[in-house]
Amino acid sequence: MSEPKIRFDKVLKAYGPLKVLEDLDFHVDASEVVTIIGPSGSGKTTVLRVLMTLEPIQGGVMYVDGEPLNMMMSDGQLVPASKAHVRRIRDKIGMVFQSFNLFPHMTALENCIEAPIHSKGMAKSKAIDESMDLLAMVGLADKRDHYPSQLSGGQQQRVAIARALAMRPEILLFDEPTSALDPEMVGEVLSVIRRLAESGDYTILLVTHQMGFARDVSDRVCFFDGGRMVEQGKPEALFGHPRNERLKQFLSKVLEAV
Amino acid sequence: MAIPRIAFIFAITAFLAGLGVATFSELRIFLPALLRGAVVTVQVSVLSIALFLLTAFVAGIARAFGTAPVRWSAAIFVEVFRGTSLLVILFWFFFVLPEFGVVMPPMVAAVLGIGLNFGAYGAEVVRGAVQSVPRGQTEASIALNMTQFKRMTRIIIPQAVVITIPGLSNLTIELIKATALVSAVTLTDITFASVQQNQLHYRTLEIFAITVLLYYCLAQFIRFGGGWLEDHFSRHLKPRSA
Ligand SMILES: Nc1ncnc2c1ncn2[C@@H]1O[C@H](COP(=O)(O)OP(=O)(O)OP(=O)(O)O)[C@@H](O)[C@H]1O
Ligand SMILES: [Mg+2]
Repeated sequence: MSEPKIRFDKVLKAYGPLKVLEDLDFHVDASEVVTIIGPSGSGKTTVLRVLMTLEPIQGGVMYVDGEPLNMMMSDGQLVPASKAHVRRIRDKIGMVFQSFNLFPHMTALENCIEAPIHSKGMAKSKAIDESMDLLAMVGLADKRDHYPSQLSGGQQQRVAIARALAMRPEILLFDEPTSALDPEMVGEVLSVIRRLAESGDYTILLVTHQMGFARDVSDRVCFFDGGRMVEQGKPEALFGHPRNERLKQFLSKVLEAV
Repeated sequence: MAIPRIAFIFAITAFLAGLGVATFSELRIFLPALLRGAVVTVQVSVLSIALFLLTAFVAGIARAFGTAPVRWSAAIFVEVFRGTSLLVILFWFFFVLPEFGVVMPPMVAAVLGIGLNFGAYGAEVVRGAVQSVPRGQTEASIALNMTQFKRMTRIIIPQAVVITIPGLSNLTIELIKATALVSAVTLTDITFASVQQNQLHYRTLEIFAITVLLYYCLAQFIRFGGGWLEDHFSRHLKPRSA
């Protein structure tokens, strides 16, 4: 059995007494596209945030390509990871946020080349070449010199995707990437994500309320409830024949809303 | 922008006109003394402003980003220099420290006292600005695997600087007014020179008109410069016009 790309081993995330993720075992294979669905507060965002190391976890181990992320091996023992270790593993992961989080004082192109130059140490001309290719891929080559405030929400999110890709991640995390967008801009962002999903170049973990999109692009869908993964399966199975009661309720509610 | 600019031009004109009138009247007898005072005021102001800005950024950033001991040291500095009156700080630097063998010329004592006192206030402005940069900016930097140093210097501080400009320019104007206290450490600034000349020549109106105009011009200059800097650094936050 080959190592999964991402593996959670009994991960515990708590805010004080509130256990947001409890003993979570979870894995994603290389090039797999996995969507997490679930009611508000079920811990979907938290799964992505702990993997991106935006939040510490209180128990368990997260592995990337079989290597521990929040821990490291020292004399055959797992010990808390050093900053350098976390940076080395984290380099494989990129994230796209619900609220874009572009750097407002930088143009679209500057947003993209910032981290490759200042975090990876890439030569500026190479970073510009690569980022221009990525901006062209998301359809925004002509907006290279625009500041985020001069772009629409959909355009900002596409720049944010290009910016994440510029770091050449192997794993892409999307947290409700279209939730902050006006309805007419959702399509342009989803079509970019769809292309990334279909390319097979990335392992993708996506949180979304767009059930139709989830069904289309996912290899697997996971339903979270109360900090636990209560059901998972191929999209046809999970949406077509849900077994769990909570999942049935959830689906009837969201599908009604559409 | 228009009103401060007009006021600024008006004040400069009035100041120069005042000087002109004075030169052509018997008032020229006290002008050289006032000008020497003006030079001292400007000198103390410029040097103190430099120290004030340096201190504000160093202490403010230390409080926002430092490790625990660094944060505490910065906090203690801020508390000490903010909780004490400037006049008392000046006395300490000039009259008390020599008792411990630290002797400094009046100009140094004045600049240190004013710069550190206002720096402590400025540190809070800087800290507030740094902390008001949205959390999402930090998270994006982490997701892009930037080191904490790069995150600070390239993402957070450049955005914080814009936010500090109004607060720091107000403090700068307060600082200039506070330089009137430096006579306490034997410097003859324009305020003290005015008082002296008035006692000698009794031309109260002319003397204090010139003094007030000097302060007003300096304050307008800062207000004008601060406004320009703010516009300049926040151009990218405005929607593209064309
Ligand atoms: N910083 C925090 N402090 C305390 N509790 C938190 C914090 N962040 C999240 N939580 C709690 O953790 C739980 C899971 O939150 P999470 O954001 O992962 O939910 P979600 O599934 O993404 O929900 P949504 O669909 O609303 O985005 C919620 O109960 C939330 O209130
Ligand atoms: Mg969420």
